[in-house]
Amino acid sequence: MIYDEPRFLPGGDKFIEMELGDEMSFDCNFLVHSVAALIRQAKIKGIVELVPELSTIMISYDGDQIGFADVVREVGALRRSIGSLEDQELDSRLIYFPVLYVDPWTRACYDDYCAKIAKKEWDPELLVRVNNLVDLKQLIRVHSGCEYWVAALGFWPGLASHMPLDPRCVLTAPKYNPPRTWTPKQAIGVGGGLCAIYPDQTPGGYQIFARTPAPIWEPTQTLPAFKQSLALFRPGDRVRFVPVDREEYDYVERKVGEGSYQHVISDFQKFSIKRYHAWLATIDPKERF
Amino acid sequence: MISVIKPGLETSVQDWPGRIGYWEQGFPPSGPFDSWSFRLANLLVGNKPGEAGLECQFMGPTLRFERDAVVAVTGADMVPTLDGMGFEMWRSHKIKAGQALTLGPARKGARAYIAIAGGIDVPPVLGSRSTFHMAGIGGIEGHALKAGQSLPVGQGTATPGRQVKLAARPEIGGTRDWQIEAVRGPNDDWVDDAAHQRFVTVGWKLQARSNRTGYRLDGPEWTFTERATNKRLEHGEHPSNVLDHGYPVGTVNLCGQTPIILVVDAPSTGGFINPYTVPSGAFWKLAQAKPNDTFHFRVVTVDQAHELRRAIDRLCTPASLE
Repeated sequence: MIYDEPRFLPGGDKFIEMELGDEMSFDCNFLVHSVAALIRQAKIKGIVELVPELSTIMISYDGDQIGFADVVREVGALRRSIGSLEDQELDSRLIYFPVLYVDPWTRACYDDYCAKIAKKEWDPELLVRVNNLVDLKQLIRVHSGCEYWVAALGFWPGLASHMPLDPRCVLTAPKYNPPRTWTPKQAIGVGGGLCAIYPDQTPGGYQIFARTPAPIWEPTQTLPAFKQSLALFRPGDRVRFVPVDREEYDYVERKVGEGSYQHVISDFQKFSIKRYHAWLATIDPKERF
Repeated sequence: MISVIKPGLETSVQDWPGRIGYWEQGFPPSGPFDSWSFRLANLLVGNKPGEAGLECQFMGPTLRFERDAVVAVTGADMVPTLDGMGFEMWRSHKIKAGQALTLGPARKGARAYIAIAGGIDVPPVLGSRSTFHMAGIGGIEGHALKAGQSLPVGQGTATPGRQVKLAARPEIGGTRDWQIEAVRGPNDDWVDDAAHQRFVTVGWKLQARSNRTGYRLDGPEWTFTERATNKRLEHGEHPSNVLDHGYPVGTVNLCGQTPIILVVDAPSTGGFINPYTVPSGAFWKLAQAKPNDTFHFRVVTVDQAHELRRAIDRLCTPASLE
């Protein structure tokens, strides 16, 4: 549920967890980002940074500039000022990723896991089975069939949790148990109901079945997309996965290597939750592409 | 310039308060684990308290100074020597070009700090020179020191022979039993009264698999409330699972049955509950503890946690020097 009154929970002397609800839903997450945007705009003296997540915001504060009770009072007032969620609009960039589905690198990673850690069903086939799809072609169609909402950042620099915005494209999957010790950089995976691009070669638990040549974080800040920040995503961004063939994948990878790849980002849209809800009402969520 | 002859176990460039403002994007603050000792080291050599210096863990480095410098060592006692002669800690010393400073294994405590007048002059990444080795950013090439590397030193002037008053130093006496402050929350309503009782009565043993990311503790089983055992599916199966949320630095993160105190290089988010949080004013004790040491937790209020931090801040000023 989404709470009428948020809960404010202390995390030592520097953090306060603001709990806005206890569900994983687009609406709850949209509220999180709406409140986070208001807190940033308000520039409250002593509030240092925010970690907006699925249904919570971790607020860090400087206790020499603002007390716990004042954070609760000021941020609580901002939450109340929102009124109806339906009237909210947020700036939202749309970022396109070229994707090679059922690629050789995630396959090699899977083979390595089976040889060294545990035998398991091949990730793309597991995804087809647990989501009642017909074949790998449909998996690609479904996964690339909608925009994804950047619901949260964190855990690893650059990593983001992507939530499908079209219920017809929701894929769910159990996580690896035990987890993988490594994942190919920029592999794409699904775990629970969320999707993620692995920013780097890291351990992982999502079922992996695709890879993009476009980086989502770059410590050297060479590519134009990283001039402002080492990490690409901001909360409220949307992502679209565009299936490409191996030739196109290699072309983009080469451009990345040369330092000349331009991420495809459009930045002229606002996300209206009212229009999103109205659109949701027109579709049959049980349908698949 | 300073040449790294031996790197020590894991010696890294850190500044204070570290990389602030990028927690949302998954970059931890990093910075010195025991910022009390670190700030005093900088003050001794005339630097700002947060200037970049070196954190030495468990076993210190051997450094050769290629230029004259003023240097101070604080924190854990790694029995520092200069060309084989005793080098008193908590005191600023002149080091001449060509001399080598050696820190050995930690005799008391776990982390020592080396400050050099002018600070370590590596380029800041996202506003900080602190090393975050997991992402390979900050410090020297993003990682701990390696033999053969050179450390650039900034311009600074300092007076040798200054020392930190005894009353202003953290007490790193080689105890194996630590009293650690903890604030209830954020997710204290997920564990039951018996678990809260056990948290403060039992001695928790620090596992060897502990580092600047997390401190794993051995102790009794945790028991849970209805909130943890009867929840929406998306929170996960185990009682300690919760919908992904942000983590406070210092939080006692319950991973299944293993509590892990998330410290300076910790992940910013995840799917486990945090029943308690160690306040920043107690971090120096965590930093100076060794594997197999025992932690006894003492619950404090948020106000007391602020006061704990302020008491240390008040000591990290030039008034603590003589």
